[in-house]
Formats: sequence, structure tokens, C-alpha cells
Amino acid sequence: MLFNSYEFILLFLPIAVLGFHLTSRSGNHRLPIFWLVAASLLFYGWWNPPYLFLLLLSIGVNYILGQFLGKADLNENESQGKVLLILGIAFNLGLIGYYKYFNFFIDNVNIISGISFNVAQIILPLGISFYTFQQISYLIDSSEGETRHYRFLDYCLFVSFFPQLIAGPIVSHQEMMPQFSKPTHRGVNQENLAIGLTIFSMGLFKKVILADQIALYATPVFSAADQGVALTIAEAWMGALAYTMQIYFDFSGYSDMAIGAARLFGIQLPLNFNSPYKAVDIIDFWGRWHMTLTRFLTRYLYNPIALNLSRRRLQKGKSLIKRGVGSIGAYWELVAVPTLITMFLAGFWHGAGWHYVIFGLLHGFYLSMNHGWRMLLKSFNYSPAETPWWQKRLGHIVTFGCVIVAMVFFRAPSVNNALTVLSAMLGSNGISFSDGALFSNQLFSNSKIGVLWLMGLMAIAFIFPSTQEWLSKYNPALGYKPTATETVGFQRWTTAFQHHLRWHPNQFWGMVTAAVAVTSFLGLSGVSEFIYFQF
Amino acid sequence: MEREAIFQQLNTVFQDVFDDDDLMVKDQTSAKDVSGWDSMAHISLVLGTEQEFGVKFKTAEVAQLSNVGEFVDLIQTKLSK
Repeated sequence: MLFNSYEFILLFLPIAVLGFHLTSRSGNHRLPIFWLVAASLLFYGWWNPPYLFLLLLSIGVNYILGQFLGKADLNENESQGKVLLILGIAFNLGLIGYYKYFNFFIDNVNIISGISFNVAQIILPLGISFYTFQQISYLIDSSEGETRHYRFLDYCLFVSFFPQLIAGPIVSHQEMMPQFSKPTHRGVNQENLAIGLTIFSMGLFKKVILADQIALYATPVFSAADQGVALTIAEAWMGALAYTMQIYFDFSGYSDMAIGAARLFGIQLPLNFNSPYKAVDIIDFWGRWHMTLTRFLTRYLYNPIALNLSRRRLQKGKSLIKRGVGSIGAYWELVAVPTLITMFLAGFWHGAGWHYVIFGLLHGFYLSMNHGWRMLLKSFNYSPAETPWWQKRLGHIVTFGCVIVAMVFFRAPSVNNALTVLSAMLGSNGISFSDGALFSNQLFSNSKIGVLWLMGLMAIAFIFPSTQEWLSKYNPALGYKPTATETVGFQRWTTAFQHHLRWHPNQFWGMVTAAVAVTSFLGLSGVSEFIYFQF
Repeated sequence: MEREAIFQQLNTVFQDVFDDDDLMVKDQTSAKDVSGWDSMAHISLVLGTEQEFGVKFKTAEVAQLSNVGEFVDLIQTKLSK
């Protein structure tokens, strides 16, 4: 089921909320949890019932393994624990490896070997990337004694909770379990309802009105490139920029809808998106884009690899990174290698395609360069207490440029397609700014409107406060604390502006939210999936 | 080992990693409060702490050290074992 659909908004969500309210007041405080699990499983099974069994199998196996791992850790049975953990991770990776990557694997084998293995197209189970990662984190934590004996029902909810099941946020058991065991005798409360509906509506607006509209200027470009049409420089840039904005509002909208939907039940999800296009460098960017994925990858991949390599270097008596500076060898082994490995996997996790791998490696390269640059500046003793405004502005532009390039790879159906679009952006098909030559391929119904949309969306992304900043007085997301200092210079006036225009559950905001919700609802005519549903 | 002593020693690790001999961290100090406390610096902090106190951190522990207070508590627990 899609968040942006009539059946979800008019049928599923109201019934789920009502049921939750009634079961909460029933006196049995396990009943609402049971209700949420049932609703979540229905939500998932709606799209493809057989895959519901896959989800349940995954939940069951991981739960049992997790409980054993927890006990093995308590009994100090290290080797047994390690074997179980490896089996568990292998099981999860095996599932996702088969359902998500097997076709890709066979296709590449065919290309390399020349043999033509014929394998049926395997349909990707929705959300498998997310529920796999979430459960791997649970297994690893269990093996270190970080999980207690969680009840099966709570574990089920942790994995299957419908607001975050299909495209995240990737939640941790530490942040979710305590919320499930807090009994809510009074059921749904007004404040949560107001906050949840507001955030949900804002998300819906971003998806239906903003993302889906700018998509009309991105999709034709990439399709044309596929068909071998020679894109003009303006068209290529339009496509790339339009997609860069499309995915921004698509993912931002989704993250909002997830947080908003969860809030209706009084459950707080962690922040996943924090105005990433305001980032002043790529390190900042990944702390704002898909925050829970960055958190997962840093914790379970980057940290272990970097620590392992560092300890080995120490044993061999080699130098480490001290006071932010290190030798080239230290930089390579302790910064570049862990970063490249992590981002390679991050890219590949998004999808079975070489263009995703390149997306990942590009960002790995960007991040390594960013860290390396910082180290270089440090070695020349340049480390100002406060970054000068022009450095932030320049960083902002460079970062955005890097992001656009990587997004072309993310969007394009193949590496070839991406390279075609990128070379057109660099003027390989000629650079002509005369009126007729700008958009000569008739890809858009009205290119001038497209440019206006683009400028409007970029203004929103660069300047507007985020959803959580609008609602900052009401704990919009788990662990969100509004920061006093913002990263981009113009934030000073927006903070002042925000201060007077912050959201409160009053009549004015009620009307604004209603207007936003109704506009988005009226735009729901088509069925359009969230981009992140395909991962 | 006393908490205050651990705190002082941990502070020297921070001063070393961030190359700021005037740095004085508090219990609530977290990554947001110190410029340059990114994933790379975090690894240096963990390693520096391991060397300074002779302890070893687990994967989950490394990630959970979101503020200095927690760092100190964890070190104290490990030292008392």
C-alpha cells in the first residue's frame, strides 16, 4: 500500500488509528501492540500476500537467533555466539542476495561467460533492504549483549511497523522498544493527532505537489537519453537538476509521512532527513540525507573496519592520525579505505545495478577527499574557530554540484545513460544559448514553467526551514534538538522569521495544514510510487 | 578509579585528538558541540581512550558514545571489572 493513495489515507489510516484508540482503552495494554502488528502486516500483505510469508519467516528466524545470541553472550560462550551471528547475518544477506541481486548476478555472469542462463525475473520484496538491515543490527547487538529478552510481539512491531517498514527510517531497537512497552491507557491523544496529521500532510504535499510535478521535467530527459536523442545542454541540465530536486522532495516527503503516521499512535521515529541541500560539505550532507542509513553504516561497517585497521597499524608500530593530521599511509588505510568500502556497499545496497555502485563509489570518493582536505588544511595549521562565510558558500555550491553528478548516476537506468546525460551537460552536443536551441527536442510541454518550478524548489531546499524546524516546539522526531547555529549564512533571518512563525496547534495553523492537506489530496489522481520503495 | 580522575584523563584524550590544549569537555558535550568531531575523529577518540585506559570497546559501545558523560560512565564500568 502506498502512503499517497486514497485507500491508505481514507480507509487504512483512520481505521488503524481508531482501532489503536479503542484497544488502548480496553485495559489490556498488549492489545494495541497486537493491533498495530496486525495492521502493519495487512499493510504489507496488501501489495503481495506471498511476500508477507517471507517477511514473517525473516522476523521469526531473526528473533529466535537474537534470543540465542543474547543468552550465548550471557553465558560467555563466545565461539558459539560468533557462529550463530555469522549464520544469522548469512541468512539475512542470503535472502536479500537472492531476492534482490540474483538476477543482476546472472546477467553479469552471462555477459562475462557468454553463456545465456535463463532465470525468471524475481520480484523484489518491498522493504527487504530495510527490514534486513534493521534485523542485522538487532543480531549484532544481541551478540554483544545489548538486547534484552524482547517479547516476540514487540519484536514483530519493531520490524514491521508500517510507517517505517517499506522505506525506513532504519530504527534501532533501543529507540523503539521502550516506546512499545509504555502503556497508553488513554489511547490516541489530541496533541499527537495534530502533530502527526500536520507532519503527514506536509509530507504528502512535498510528494504529490512538489516531487511529482518536477518529475515531469526529469523523466523525459532520461528516457530521451536512453533512446539516443541528442540532448541539448539546457535539456541535460534541466533533467539533472529536476531529478535532484525530485528525489529531495520525494524522500523528504516520505520521511515526513512516516514520522507523521507514527506520531498518530504516539510513537516517535528518528529523524531521517534534515535539509541536506543546505550542507556545506559532503560530510555534512551525509549527516542530513538518509540519516538513519548513515547511522547504520557508520556503526556496523565504517567503525569496525576503521577500528580494526587502526589496531593493526598500532600493532605494527605504524603511525595513526593524531590531532587531525596523519601520513599518507595512515590517511589511505584509516580514512579512504573504510570510507570507500562503506560507500561502495551503500551504493550497491540501493539497487542491483552498476550505476548504483558508481553512485556509491563517487560519494566514497567525495567523502575521502573531504576528510583529506580537512587533514591537509590542518597540516598547514589552518583551522579557524568559525568558518568564514565565503568558505561556507563555496562549500555549499561545490557540495551541491557533486551531489547533482552522483544523482545522475542514481537516476539513470544504466551507466551508459548516465554518461550520456553528463557529457551533454558538459556540452558534448554543442553549447548554444539561442532561444530556439535551448530546448529543441520538445521534451517538455512548457520549459519556462519548468525553470520556474526548479527555481522555486531550489529556493525551498536552500532557504526554507525544515518540517522539524517548523514544529520544533513539539518534539517532532526522536532525539531532535533544534540547533542554535545553522550552517548556511542566511539562516540568521530565517531563524528570526521562524521564531514568529513556528507551528502551534492553533486555528491559524489548523487552516494552513488543512489547505496543504486538501491541495495534496486533490493531486492524488495518479498512483506514483516513492523512489525509495524500489530499494 | 574515581570518576573525576577518569574525566580529567579523558579530557586529555580529547585535547589530543582535537589538537586543542584549552579544550574542556563536560558531561553533556557531544559531537554537535565540538567542531571536527566526525566519524574519523570518533575513531581516533575511541582508540585514544583504549590506549589511555587500557580498555577495549565493542561495536555497539563505540556507536553509542554520543556524549562525554556516557564515555566516562562506560570507562568506569570497564575499569571496575
